[in-house]
Amino acid sequence: MASTSGTPGTTGPAALPRASVRLRRRLLGGVTALSALALTACGGGAFGTGDGRTTITYWLWDANQQPAYQQCAEDFENSQSEYRIDVQQHGWEDYWTQLALGFVSDSAPDVFTNHLSKYPEYVTRDLLMPLDDLVERDHLPLDIYEEGLTELWTGEDGARYGLPKDWDAVGLFYNEDMLREAGLDPAQLQNLTWNPEDGGTYEDVIARLTVDENGVRGDEPGFDKHHVRTYGLWMQGAGGDGFGQAQWSMYAVSNGFQYTDTNPWGTHFNFDQPAFQETMTWWQHLIEEGYSPAFAVQDGQQSADQMAAGNAAMAMDGSWMTGTFTGIEGIRVGIAPTPIGPSGERASMSNSLADSIFAGTDHPEGAWEWVKYLASPACQRVVGEYHVVFPAITEAWHVAQQKFAEEGIDVSPFTDQVEQGTTFRFPITEHAGEISALLIPAFEAVMSGAPVDSLDEVNEEINGLFEED
Amino acid sequence: MTAVAQPAAPAPQDAPRRTRLRPGGRRRPLNPGRLLAWAVLLLFLLVTIAPFLWMLRTALSNNRSLFTEPNSPLPVDFTWGPLQRVFGTASTEEAQAEGGSGASLHFWVYLRNSLIVSTLITVGQVFFSACAAYAFARLSWPGRDKVFFVFLTALMVPPVFTMLPNFVLIKELGLLNTYPGIVAPFFFMTPFAVFFLRQFFLGINRELEEAAMIDGAGYYRIFFRIILPASSAPLATLGILTFINAWNEYFWPNLVGQKDGVRVLTVALSAFRTATPNTGPDWAGLMAAALVAAVPTMLVFLAFGRKIINSIQFTGVK
Amino acid sequence: MATITGGAAAATPVPRPAAHPPSNRRRRETRAALVFLAPAALGFLVFFAWPTLRGLYLSLTDYDLLTAPEFSGLDNYRTLIHDDVFWNSLWVTLEYVVINIGVQTVVALALAVLMHRLTQSTVIRGVLLLPYLISNVVVALVWYWMADFNLGLINQGMDWIGLDRIGFFGDENWAIPTIALVNVWRHMGYTALLIFAGLQAINRDVYEAAAVDGANERRIFFGITLPLLRPVLALVLIITVIGSWQIFDTVAVTTKGGPVDATRTVQVYIYDQAFTRFNFGYASAISVALFLILAFVAFAQLRLMRAGESDQS
Repeated sequence: MASTSGTPGTTGPAALPRASVRLRRRLLGGVTALSALALTACGGGAFGTGDGRTTITYWLWDANQQPAYQQCAEDFENSQSEYRIDVQQHGWEDYWTQLALGFVSDSAPDVFTNHLSKYPEYVTRDLLMPLDDLVERDHLPLDIYEEGLTELWTGEDGARYGLPKDWDAVGLFYNEDMLREAGLDPAQLQNLTWNPEDGGTYEDVIARLTVDENGVRGDEPGFDKHHVRTYGLWMQGAGGDGFGQAQWSMYAVSNGFQYTDTNPWGTHFNFDQPAFQETMTWWQHLIEEGYSPAFAVQDGQQSADQMAAGNAAMAMDGSWMTGTFTGIEGIRVGIAPTPIGPSGERASMSNSLADSIFAGTDHPEGAWEWVKYLASPACQRVVGEYHVVFPAITEAWHVAQQKFAEEGIDVSPFTDQVEQGTTFRFPITEHAGEISALLIPAFEAVMSGAPVDSLDEVNEEINGLFEED
Repeated sequence: MTAVAQPAAPAPQDAPRRTRLRPGGRRRPLNPGRLLAWAVLLLFLLVTIAPFLWMLRTALSNNRSLFTEPNSPLPVDFTWGPLQRVFGTASTEEAQAEGGSGASLHFWVYLRNSLIVSTLITVGQVFFSACAAYAFARLSWPGRDKVFFVFLTALMVPPVFTMLPNFVLIKELGLLNTYPGIVAPFFFMTPFAVFFLRQFFLGINRELEEAAMIDGAGYYRIFFRIILPASSAPLATLGILTFINAWNEYFWPNLVGQKDGVRVLTVALSAFRTATPNTGPDWAGLMAAALVAAVPTMLVFLAFGRKIINSIQFTGVK
Repeated sequence: MATITGGAAAATPVPRPAAHPPSNRRRRETRAALVFLAPAALGFLVFFAWPTLRGLYLSLTDYDLLTAPEFSGLDNYRTLIHDDVFWNSLWVTLEYVVINIGVQTVVALALAVLMHRLTQSTVIRGVLLLPYLISNVVVALVWYWMADFNLGLINQGMDWIGLDRIGFFGDENWAIPTIALVNVWRHMGYTALLIFAGLQAINRDVYEAAAVDGANERRIFFGITLPLLRPVLALVLIITVIGSWQIFDTVAVTTKGGPVDATRTVQVYIYDQAFTRFNFGYASAISVALFLILAFVAFAQLRLMRAGESDQS
């Protein structure tokens, strides 16, 4: 360098010696620009908050609940001056992969809606903040929630990893007009029976409600199963990523199936048992008969949309979809309970969500304040008012029930299951990420026509995960 | 590789002349074969354009009404709603009333991020690659060819292979969710850029350089005053291509730039896609977002269209 | 420096060394080279060389990105050999590459020849290039919408002409061809331009001579154009094939690997394992495998291209 800059008396203008200086400056400039940006980027993470508040990021997956929680966030922001809440929604099918990426790339939300089937794995990876000390410090009452919900969020290690926010059940949504056209009475739907051999009265109704393009019904001669206009029962997804919560869990369990050896903390899955595989065979049979759409047809489609478009007469779905179904314009939608199975009882999965704090959060205190607010009667009453889901606080879910009733919607098909004790829990186990990665393609394959006993192999692989421990 | 030093640069200029000279050329009568050929070409043009029109049409439709007139070439139940959802000027309730989710794009922030990231990558990569290419092409020093060969081997390493360890590195450096983290792996060079520019530098006439030397110019002055100006065409080509690629990159910024403050458009768009309402995808909102994300490149194209076309043909011949 | 101005002055450009003490100049030149090379070398060492070594090492570990990697020897590779999903992903990717590259090359060649014979219009070339300027993510979204089973334009059209609807992204058999064709759409104009440039570079005398001989279009194409175009085609293939193997973006925004594993390409599988299943070590092992495959493909292609070059002379 020195040799060039020390060159006097050349023909060129004075600019010449500066060339190298400029180069050096440019090189340095590049590096400086990078580091300068690093600084601004770190500081500029939160934008649009000129009021000096700290932003707490909150994730949920159900768009229907977003307005309710947005309201809670607003109320929370008005109740204190330190924190601002950024509510973000990611659809269920991307939620967990986005969250996992967030954990490893330092971009996970401070607080997020957590799921029973997922949280044990996060506990073993130290991704969740234990809340016991905080609960104790702030003297949080835990007896205001529906019975049994708080215990679900106590990990295998005895620590508490979430405060319950809601509970749910599944039921059968049906198009009342189509029902009457088919000569059926809504009252008939309240006591349907099901078995894996011939599908019972449940399958009779499904067949009756199925209509082909020539107007022939599924239980009439000449029915063309390849050109169906309205399916008796719509299906949404194959259930691989939610243990068939709204797909097949209600049939399998009413047929005597148990997911795992024990629940919670089971270490052995039972997808290879006859009680389960019979159910899946029957499920495939619905598609073969043309009563339900093939997997390729229903992939990515929402049951409620299909009912709105007249493509579906009935759909099994969760209580959290009640508002969406009953809100369809131009159609009267009713709700029936899940059918009674060979066990002589109905079955409905009942899940309960909670809000958890990411252990790597930069704002543990703010995150806790927000979680505490989410779990408080103030917020849960708001959620009840919006009546999308049943809040975890007993008093608050009665508000939701009341709101539904005011609109003429009877939600007893869901609440009865809870009150009559016919619900069962999500399997709570380790290895959730691996399990759903294995189950999703496996169930999609079965729904696309693969032999049901192909599940034996997957079951073995899943059980292998627990043996490695 | 032999063709490199005879760049296609003259091609565009003498193109019109060639048209006239080519047998038949433009004045050839329209026989059936030619007519058919035109028909096929127009069909391709239609296939190219149609999705853009459909995107526009959907972006101005009410998502809730889309299924009522799925064939209509015009927006169904015209509304600015989807665009408002994208820009975040619609409330969650308004958005959901039209079948959207409550999610919004902080469009201007993402646009800014995409611009910063793409510009930094382009400027850094082209400049530093040019420096290296100069060292490989015009300077002689011990071990030069061996080092160049080592550089070339990097061409064979697929990006996905280096992305994983690079992710770990960026994480360790604490640069996740910062501009430097997103830019760094592309900032200093890519083997292709070095290789591409070296080929051109090799073809530059030595006489200019020698004359400058005699006038007392050093290597730095030669580089800035002779080599760079003489290579403005390949530099522009590389710059344009680098910018387009950087702008469209998804895999890497998706890993290291998830946070809002540094999120680029492509990543934001896929996040917007994941924010589906329970009643099925918000197609109108998605198309509005896609449209909005495509507008900046469209503008660049309108401004530099001919240059971009020539650039790409340029790389083709070499 | 002084030596230059003072010394061999007005001389016509002589071969470089003569003018001054070689060793001095050599030293200065080497030093300059080092300065020019420094930033790129830094980038090379930090972001290419080091990660390559580290990737190899990580493939021998059990690593979840949250806690320190643990050395596990060849465990990952043993798992890999028995991993059906991995072998399936290779197969799926290959299927994608064949359809994508095959169709794309033929279509682009046809487009280039059409343009060459019919028009020099920049507007037409510009329009054909448009899709290339839009990101993969946008392109994927647009086609995902147009190919939607119920509401998409394509299925509506098929309905209208009396064909059965197709679940383009939802059907196991259709998903990969669909994604391959979507990317053909994005790249065909770009590839056509590359080939078009090659066509323009062909000496027009050749055509004139052929015309004088009374050769028809078909003979001109197969007898003259195609052989002369071989080097350009080889180059185009090298650029596109390697990229095609790393298909990720389109899948990530549409099918995410499903239905079943029909679109779980290698890179999608690597991403799944590394970033959503906490198996970073295993993902590294898969990427080593992909690396080896691509190295082989590139090597084979280079040989092919060399064959093309000798053809030209």
